[in-house]
Amino acid sequence: MTNDEDRSSSLIVRDDLAEAHRLAWRHIARPGVWFTAAQRIELANTVLMAIADDEPLPPWVGLSTTDRLSPTAEAPAAAHDIAYRIARHAGTITADVYQAASAEIGELPYVEVCAIASTVAAVAHFCRNIGVDIPPFPEAVAGEPTHEQPDHIVRAELNWVPVAAPADQTAAVVQAYSAVPPEFDNTWRMAAAQYIPNEEMVHADWSRRAGGLSRPQTELVAARVAQLRECFY
Amino acid sequence: MLSWSSTKAGTDIDLTAVADGRDISDINIEHGALLLRFATACAERDEQALDDARRDLAAATDSAFMVDAAAVAANFEMMTRLADGTGSRMPGDVLEARASTIGAMGVADLVSRR
Repeated sequence: MTNDEDRSSSLIVRDDLAEAHRLAWRHIARPGVWFTAAQRIELANTVLMAIADDEPLPPWVGLSTTDRLSPTAEAPAAAHDIAYRIARHAGTITADVYQAASAEIGELPYVEVCAIASTVAAVAHFCRNIGVDIPPFPEAVAGEPTHEQPDHIVRAELNWVPVAAPADQTAAVVQAYSAVPPEFDNTWRMAAAQYIPNEEMVHADWSRRAGGLSRPQTELVAARVAQLRECFY
Repeated sequence: MLSWSSTKAGTDIDLTAVADGRDISDINIEHGALLLRFATACAERDEQALDDARRDLAAATDSAFMVDAAAVAANFEMMTRLADGTGSRMPGDVLEARASTIGAMGVADLVSRR
């Protein structure tokens, strides 16, 4: 038995959390709104590489300018570049970086890449945090990107990215993926299992179970990670 | 949210200690020092420190508590990338209301402030 198996054998991950992560991996491996499943898995692997990179590229160096990106990659080079940067250097992204990347791949495809990066980061870090291996992605599901989108997509005051109308009626982080609904749904399913169900956010005494993390304990962990990631929001 | 939930719980938390990652065992968050150490290790790259922090937190609580803390840390790996990747910002009145927290956490000069 390896150390990994030894550690994981005594761990029980509650069902809703395990299910949210299982669905997240299945979501990655399905055709997206703007990318095929194969492209999404390719981008997800770029995210994993960026997170684990012992010699990370500086923020201003695109992955596609190095020999770390396969010349046979199916997703656009600019999508891999921004996936790597969001995964490893998210706190350095400026409006100029967003505009340059979205000019190359499109604003809504940019949102999808960002969502792939944030989804994969959550699962990968959770596995590391509890000391188990990251599961492999499922086989890519065949099919073309759906190109489905909300009827009305508008500019927001609180985000660079366009959002589903009406804008700015909820927090910026809530509306950020609303123009790409499958990413919105996946992200908030994960957040409910990892952090707090949305309907409980206003309850300062909420706890998932008796003896579980209290709200201040939860927010202590949240604040420390966000601060170390240099995230002002 | 930390400041708000702590106040609601009747606890006055030292945000500068959280920002600095100092030992905060003298404040009224149970297992606060272990949680802070674990959260720090989750976000940094020292595998031995993470192994030690994980073991110590699970020993003082239980493995389900540690898993829940690991999930919260993972959630903010997701949310920080979402926020910074999409240029999310807070409305001006919210920023104003949180000025003291922003100062205490030492985040006013971050690139990600928009």
